[in-house]
Amino acid sequence: MIRFLIKGILRDKNRSLLPVVIVSIGVLLTVFLSGYIRGVMGDMIDLTARFQTGHLKVMSKAYADNQDQMPNDLALVDLSRLLQELKQDNPKYDWKPRIHFGGLVDVPGPGGETRSQGPGTGLAFDLLSPGSSEIDRLNIQNSLVRGALPATPGEALLSEDFAQKLGVQPGETITFFGSTMNGAMAFRNFTVSGTVKFGSAAMDRGTLIADLGDAQDMLDMDNSAGEIVGYHNAGAYEDEDARSLAAHFNKNHADGDEFEPVMQTLGQQNNMGAMLQYTDHMAAIFVGIFVFAMSLVLWNTGLLGGLRRYQEFGIRLALGESKGAIYRSLFTEAVIIGLLGSIAGTTFGVLFCFLLQKYGIDISSVMQDSSMMYPNRLRARMSLDLFVIGFIPGLFSMVLGNLLAGIGIYKRETAQLFKELEV
Amino acid sequence: MNSDYVISLRNVAKHYPIGDGRFTALQDINLDFSQGEFSGLVGPSGSGKTTLLNIIGSLDSPSEGTASVLGKNIATLSHKESAQLRNREIGFIFQVYNLLPVYTVFENVEFALLLQNRSEAERKKAVMDALEWVGLTHLADKKPSKLSGGEGQRVAIARAMVKRPSIVLADEPSANLDARNTHGILQTMKDLNRELKTTFLFSTHDEKVMQYLERIIHLDDGRIAQDEIVHAQSTPT
Ligand SMILES: Nc1ncnc2c1ncn2[C@@H]1O[C@H](COP(=O)(O)OP(=O)(O)OP(=O)(O)O)[C@@H](O)[C@H]1O
Ligand SMILES: [Mg+2]
Repeated sequence: MIRFLIKGILRDKNRSLLPVVIVSIGVLLTVFLSGYIRGVMGDMIDLTARFQTGHLKVMSKAYADNQDQMPNDLALVDLSRLLQELKQDNPKYDWKPRIHFGGLVDVPGPGGETRSQGPGTGLAFDLLSPGSSEIDRLNIQNSLVRGALPATPGEALLSEDFAQKLGVQPGETITFFGSTMNGAMAFRNFTVSGTVKFGSAAMDRGTLIADLGDAQDMLDMDNSAGEIVGYHNAGAYEDEDARSLAAHFNKNHADGDEFEPVMQTLGQQNNMGAMLQYTDHMAAIFVGIFVFAMSLVLWNTGLLGGLRRYQEFGIRLALGESKGAIYRSLFTEAVIIGLLGSIAGTTFGVLFCFLLQKYGIDISSVMQDSSMMYPNRLRARMSLDLFVIGFIPGLFSMVLGNLLAGIGIYKRETAQLFKELEV
Repeated sequence: MNSDYVISLRNVAKHYPIGDGRFTALQDINLDFSQGEFSGLVGPSGSGKTTLLNIIGSLDSPSEGTASVLGKNIATLSHKESAQLRNREIGFIFQVYNLLPVYTVFENVEFALLLQNRSEAERKKAVMDALEWVGLTHLADKKPSKLSGGEGQRVAIARAMVKRPSIVLADEPSANLDARNTHGILQTMKDLNRELKTTFLFSTHDEKVMQYLERIIHLDDGRIAQDEIVHAQSTPT
């Protein structure tokens, strides 16, 4: 009997093609959009984690409250002791001190006069120790546009756009003006060893990257840093693990002093928690809308298909199939068609996601003025649940739509049904 | 109820609700049919022929009276039981051949047997036998759209006969056929009637069909106007 139904479905293009196409498209959109949203959100979160928040971040309480001002006067002191404590208590994480600082980049002319000048944001981390994990993490090597990585103290990287605006070539010297941890004027000469482009408008606008030691030296921050970021050695952010770790750390440092260190998870910073949740919710919302809309559409195609097939149902009734059996066979057909559509839709959806993951779409022109940590290239993210996310709803809406459509047939008296079927 | 009869109708009436009142399509129908009868309902359009066939075929049930088919009271059958009765014991032939367009001739005839869960070998043999009765074995793999009217109606006969039912109900089977095809299919049915002892009940206004009938029941306005035994010509021209 199933074979009989399958033959019917395959031969009757009117019956199968439209629903299969509708289901496929719906499933495709759901799968693709979920993958896309997750890719975009995931990339954004990932980028933010790498450059800003870490999986965990330790700051002084006061620094944490004014983070966006980069208040290095409130930086962590006694850095080495704190680092040692973190490494000892939480060896699952890689702990790295960083300093964010603001100031002015000045390019001197041959006679010592200012050739060009612009506000810059400094980021300092462990650049010089051999095999520093930070270089990989921040993708410095691949982001290099011109020149080379700093090899000795006194060398720094400029973002490519910034360097062009200032008219600086690798090898030339710049002067950075800022203020020390104690509020005094700070300045230091750097040799530009190279330029970088990260593919995120926020990072590419006016960044100077220097070694931690140089920054500490320049800003009078000996054995001190604005923050210590921690990254899970396994690579991915583990919200629960991070939370419990932070809670534990904060309990041990709960003296109430505003210079006391606090630990915050990725989720607790920059609304990242909301972002993470939003990502999950979006997928659920897509699926919800999809099931609703698809069911309506398929209900309608089911109704039309049913009308078209009244004659067939009449013949089958006369041949001794009961109404219940016909209804059940509609159900079976819906399952088969739903399966076909879901398989096709999932295949194409996953394929598109894969392509978008592999190649991405350049949106740098759109995001130029954004200060968000946002990758310039949109990418989807593949994951196993993409296979399920559209599949089940596709099948479900096809079956639901058809069962709704079939109720009309089921409710009618056999005789009445049969009369309508007569031609 | 006399169990010697294949079909037994007692005081059958059928009413349809119309607005506030009701419309009576059949009234005071008392009829018995024995096994192997070759008879027909004749009457003008609207006289209730189809309604009566549908009641006997358990597609509908009487408003009054009892209709019993092979000892079963139609009114008391469940959906499932009446479907089973149709599947096992009753073959329908309609005015339009009503073949399922996406299936081949073979598959159309096979369908009734699929419902009976017969084995594939059994089905194949039965279908080929039935196609042979109507002389269409060579068209087994054709789609209905490729058949002529007469061929289509003969497939419908094969489909009705393949399960070797006790009763065949044929509602104006010749309405879409020319004279030659009408004689052809009636001759086929008559042969099957003799060979398999199947009870045939027609509805028709076609003189050519009437020539073959052994008993003609005239319906008028939902009542039996006349019930006559005729001796059909064995080979009408
Ligand atoms: N569901 C219904 N509701 C109301 N009236 C109906 C219904 N079904 C049939 N009738 C009426 O019952 C009467 C008998 O109908 P029936 O179809 O049995 O006639 P018939 O003898 O088969 O006619 P024809 O030769 O045109 O096929 C007709 O007047 C018809 O309009
Ligand atoms: Mg009729």
